[in-house]
Amino acid sequence: MSKNPIIKLENLYVDFPVKGGLPFQKKKHISAVSDVSLEIYPGETFGIVGESGCGKSTLANAMIGMVKPTGGKVIFKDNDLFSLSRTDFKKTRSDMQMIFQDPFSSLNPRFSVYQLISEPMFIRGGFTKKEMEQRVLELLKLVGLDEKDLHRYPSDFSGGQKQRIGIARAISLNPDLLICDEPVSALDVSVHAQILNLLIDLQDHLKLTYVFISHNLAVVKNVCDRILVMYLGKVMEFGSTKAIYKNPLHPYTNALISAILDLDIKREKTILKGDIPSPIDPPKGCRFWQRCPYAMEGCKDIPAPLIEVEDNHFVACHKLSGFSEDEIARGLDKRISDGQ
Amino acid sequence: MSDVLLGLKNLKVIFPAQQGIVRAVEGIDIDIKKGECVALVGESGCGKSVTSLAIMRLLNTPPALVDVESINLDGDEITNYSENKMQDVRGKQISMIFQDAMTALNPVMTVGKQIDEVFIKHQKLNKKEARIETIKALRLVGIPEPESRAKAFPHQLSGGLRQRVLIAMAFACMPKLIIADEPTTALDVTIQAQVLEVLRSMQRSHNVSLLLITHDLSVVAHTADTVYVMYSGKIVEKAKVEDLFKTPHHPYTEGLLGSIPRLSDTTKHFVQIPDSVPHPMFKPTGCYFHPRCKYATDDCKKKMPPLERLDNGREIRCYHPINFTGGETNE
Repeated sequence: MSKNPIIKLENLYVDFPVKGGLPFQKKKHISAVSDVSLEIYPGETFGIVGESGCGKSTLANAMIGMVKPTGGKVIFKDNDLFSLSRTDFKKTRSDMQMIFQDPFSSLNPRFSVYQLISEPMFIRGGFTKKEMEQRVLELLKLVGLDEKDLHRYPSDFSGGQKQRIGIARAISLNPDLLICDEPVSALDVSVHAQILNLLIDLQDHLKLTYVFISHNLAVVKNVCDRILVMYLGKVMEFGSTKAIYKNPLHPYTNALISAILDLDIKREKTILKGDIPSPIDPPKGCRFWQRCPYAMEGCKDIPAPLIEVEDNHFVACHKLSGFSEDEIARGLDKRISDGQ
Repeated sequence: MSDVLLGLKNLKVIFPAQQGIVRAVEGIDIDIKKGECVALVGESGCGKSVTSLAIMRLLNTPPALVDVESINLDGDEITNYSENKMQDVRGKQISMIFQDAMTALNPVMTVGKQIDEVFIKHQKLNKKEARIETIKALRLVGIPEPESRAKAFPHQLSGGLRQRVLIAMAFACMPKLIIADEPTTALDVTIQAQVLEVLRSMQRSHNVSLLLITHDLSVVAHTADTVYVMYSGKIVEKAKVEDLFKTPHHPYTEGLLGSIPRLSDTTKHFVQIPDSVPHPMFKPTGCYFHPRCKYATDDCKKKMPPLERLDNGREIRCYHPINFTGGETNE
């Protein structure tokens, strides 16, 4: 990994203030992303995995500057994204684009396909009308749509086709980084494969870097080179896809993998109890301890550090990092009994 | 008494539109045995939800035109029931779990009150008795602290809990049949596993029949006994769940199975079915699947293949079934 990272996050924090509450009461905060550092290299597909509400989308939004982080830095191609001037920021932004989850609501129903796809070029400026039209036709072909679709409206298309339009729009300015925020979860299972294959082909063709957000680990496994497992804004496990699937070390990753409904294998399942807790005032220690089948007394109060267990495989869990001697003396390594 | 709980015969639903006629459902038969979980699988737009609404008699007519030979529920013919009589059937004998719990629940009523209503209406309980039953029902589906959760409004609950509330409501009067329309599509994988577990165990312990409508075959593999595969308004294959997954006969079923990403996959590309479902107003001639089918021949373009019954209880609508060894058709 001697290459320069295309995007680098340094101790990123994103908090949202909670509205309401009594006057003079201490303001509450939702900690959506907490202390995330990572580097993404050109040409790779980086997966972010977790349940809804775990901060995946916020993290992605912070990466492309749609959400201002409360702490830490986002460095895109050696520039600190949030200290750029407005014009520089705008220029940088066109190198990173996003594909949204729901193609039904991310396309303006009153825009024709041509208007939708050419809008980024229009905003960026510097294209003649002819150039734009040619580019749109080129893009349509690239994503597998037809020339005669040019002047039709989103309502004429099926979900899969709409997502293709969304993809064409995202790659219209030749970005380097493409953030795919659950690009298939709103679509039928039979269309998933079509869209995923299209994304894979485009990556080969256009040398794109992907940040791929998903809650489906079976999809992520086949698409991503490295993955980051998040829970309540914190990194739980992080490493190469191969290492994580071969040897998932964090109990949460284990539970996620076993929750996949697979057709071929009848595996033993660890079905997690309960729901993801509220990110307002998250647990002080390990954020997962309330649902963790292996939780120990110490997990309640002491956050687990992210340690490198093998080459390119990081895990934040007390089960692996253990406790110091004097913590063990205080009985912190005792299992919390299941009865409660 | 036969052991068939719901017998649906020759259901047709069409929607007249300005540009033509949308044939949403074109003559389908479904049999659901007592205590069985039947899955109806297909892509969006194939008519699965319309079928379920037609069974509940919830389609607005007009615009919909429903033509059905018979809907037989446990020996009673409900095809010609009046609206009043139907209201008694809904909730008491058949109930439904909808896909999106947030829109299915009333946002300005506590969830407890909404479940109370079912008991008050169908079992003629008073408010106090109803609340006791409600709390019992909520406890059954595994909602922690049901007493306080009953006083919560839908927006105060998480997606998984809301779906459990809907399940509790559907099971409230212990109906004979429950129709679950994509019950887990809006949920996370971990919560999906929980909700399916609840649904399955409730169905088994109370011996209720379940009609599960979904587009996700992996959900089917873990819950259903019998599977109907639907394509563009017609049943294309019916089989026991093990048979279907082991030896799919219809090319469409094969395609659906292939397109599910699996953990055991090693190649980077996914298997895909080309194109998409035909527009219901402009269906192709012959077999509706032939433009997407890799086995299609000239025969397929000319005439719709009949639904043939095989001797092992399977049904298949295809001229060129795959994975077919021996087992002549009964025709």
